Amino acid sequence: MSAEAAPRSGPLVVGLGSPDQGDDAVGPAVAHAVAALGLPGVETAIHEDPTALLHLWEGFDFVVVVDAVMSGKPAGSISVMEVGAGRPSLPPESWAATGRGGTHAFGLATSIELARVLRTLPRRVTIVGIEASSFEQGTGLTAPVTASSDDAVAIICAMARECVGSAT
Amino acid sequence: MTHQLKDGSQVLQVGVLARVEGEGGMHIEIKDGVVESVKLNIFEPPRFYEAFLRGRKYTEPPDITARICGICPVAYQTASTEAIEAIAGAVTTPEIQTMRRLLYCGEWIESHALHIFMLHAPDFLGYDSVIEMAADHGPVVEMALRLKKAGNDLMELVGGRAIHPVNVKVGGFFRMPTKAQMMALRPDLERGLEEAFATIKLVSTFDFPDMEQPYEYVALRHPDYYAIERGTVASSSGVEFPVSEFPKHVKEFHVEHSNALHAKFDDTMYMVGPLARYTLNFHQLSDRCKEAALAAGLGETCRNQFKSIIVRAVELAYAFEEAVRIIDEWKDGAAPSVPVAATKGEGMGASEAPRGILFHRYITDENGIIEDAQIVPPTSQNQPSIELDLKTAAQQWVDMDDHALTHRCEHAIRNYDPCISCATHFLDLRVNRS
Repeated sequence: MSAEAAPRSGPLVVGLGSPDQGDDAVGPAVAHAVAALGLPGVETAIHEDPTALLHLWEGFDFVVVVDAVMSGKPAGSISVMEVGAGRPSLPPESWAATGRGGTHAFGLATSIELARVLRTLPRRVTIVGIEASSFEQGTGLTAPVTASSDDAVAIICAMARECVGSAT
Repeated sequence: MTHQLKDGSQVLQVGVLARVEGEGGMHIEIKDGVVESVKLNIFEPPRFYEAFLRGRKYTEPPDITARICGICPVAYQTASTEAIEAIAGAVTTPEIQTMRRLLYCGEWIESHALHIFMLHAPDFLGYDSVIEMAADHGPVVEMALRLKKAGNDLMELVGGRAIHPVNVKVGGFFRMPTKAQMMALRPDLERGLEEAFATIKLVSTFDFPDMEQPYEYVALRHPDYYAIERGTVASSSGVEFPVSEFPKHVKEFHVEHSNALHAKFDDTMYMVGPLARYTLNFHQLSDRCKEAALAAGLGETCRNQFKSIIVRAVELAYAFEEAVRIIDEWKDGAAPSVPVAATKGEGMGASEAPRGILFHRYITDENGIIEDAQIVPPTSQNQPSIELDLKTAAQQWVDMDDHALTHRCEHAIRNYDPCISCATHFLDLRVNRS
C-alpha cells in the first residue's frame, strides 16, 4: 500500500491454497463461495503463492486470508486470528523455519511479517484458518473440512457486513 | 543444536534446515579439529511420484509432475512433455518451443529473484532472514518483490497459473497468449530487466569466501542459444551427448544417510546448476550480460559456489532479456499444439531447472499407459558436491565458534538453492501456514 493512496474500504477476501490438493483447496473454495454471494463492496482473490499477498493487498485497509492450517485441532476446526498492522508481530518460530509453509520457506507468516517490516501490511488482516486433514493430490475436500466451509463463509460474511456497514 | 560427545568429538547438527524447499538436515562430525564426516540428511520418503505415475495416461505427466515442486513446475512440465513427445516421435513447432522458453523465463525470474534476495542475500549481509534484512534494506526487498512478481505474472499469462501452470499439455499448450496480452507485461519486464542488471552490481559487492572446487560441470547446451528448455548434455571434460544417452552416463545410487538418491556422471562426482551452465555456455549469453558478469568480477568460468549469487543475477537479467525479445518478435496465429498419439516405447527429456538439469524418462505401452517412470532432479545430482563443499567449508573455518560455523555451513548448502522436495520426489503433505 503506497503511503499516498487512499485505502480501499471494502474488504478483500483471499483464498490461499492449491485447488487440487485435498483440503488445501479450502481457501479457494471459501473465497469462491464468498464471491458468489455478490456482497457489495467485497472483493475476492485466489492464489497459491503466499508471496502474492504482498501485492494483492496493496491499497486495502481490511483483508481476510482464508487458508488451510494444521495445528493439531480436529479436522474442520476454524481458527480466527487478527495479525494486521498495530497487532503484535507473530513469534519468530512461526516464520524462521517455515520450510513446510510455502515455496522455499516463504509461507503466510513470512509474508505477513515481511509486510509488517516494510510497512505495507494492511491495518486489519484476519486469518481464517480451517484445520485440514489431507493434502492428497487430485482429491477434493475431506468431509469435515467441507462441513466447516459454510461456517467459514458465514464468519467472513459477518465480518464483511460489519466492515461495509461501518464504512457507510 | 550443538552436542559435545563424551570422547571430546564435536558434533554440529542442524535438524531442519531453514530456507530450503522441503525438509533436510546436515550432520558434521569434527574430532580434534579435523572434520571427519559430513552428511546431508533427507528425511522424506523417495520416489513417491515415480510410483504414482505408473499406470497413468501418457498425457498426465505434465500435470502430475508439476506438483512435485512449487518453485520449478515448468521444469517438470517441460522435461516430461519432451520425453513423452520423444516416444511418439512428435515434432513441435518453433512457436511452441518459443512459448515454452518464454514460460521458462518466468520460472527462472521468479525462482532466481526469490533465492537471490529472500534466501541467499541474508547469508551475505549477516541477517537470519529476509525479514530482518528488510528492516535495513527495505527498497532492495521491495525491488526483489517486484522482480519476483514479474516472473509470476509471466507464468500466470503463459501457464494459466503462477505456481502450478495448467495451460501446458503434451504437444504444446491448450491456448497461446496473444501478443497484446504479452505486450501488457512488457513495461514491468523492461523495468525488471534494468533492476536485474542493478542486482548484478549489488550482489557483486558482497564478500565471498575463498573456496573453489574442481567439480565436473554438467549442463544442457543448445547450438543456437543459452540452453534453458532443451538441449544436448555437455560436460566440462568435453563430453557431449543427446539426452537419450543420459542414463548411460548418469548412475543414481543410494546412500544410507539419505532418502534421496545420489548420482555420479561417468563414475565421477559432478555438479549441475547455474555455475555449470554459466561456465559451459558463457559465450551464448548476450553481450550486455557478458559485460555485466565480467564487470562483477566473474571470469568466463566460475568455480566458487559462494559466487553463485552473482551467476544467478546474470541469469536473471538474461531471462528478462529473453522474455522481452520473445514478446517483441511474437506473431499471433500459431497453432498452440501438435497432436501426440499414444505410442509404445521409451522416451527421455531434460530441461534446465533453475537449480540444474532435470531429467525424465518414461516407458509406455501401446495404449499410452505409463509402465515405468524415472525422474532425476538437480538436487539429487548435487548432493555429493554439497557434502564435499560442506566438508571443505567446515575444515576451512573449523576455528569459528559453533554458531558462526553452523551458519557458514548452512550458507554453503544454500549456495546450491537446494530443492529437497524435488530430490525426494515427495510433496510435503504436512503443510502448516498458521
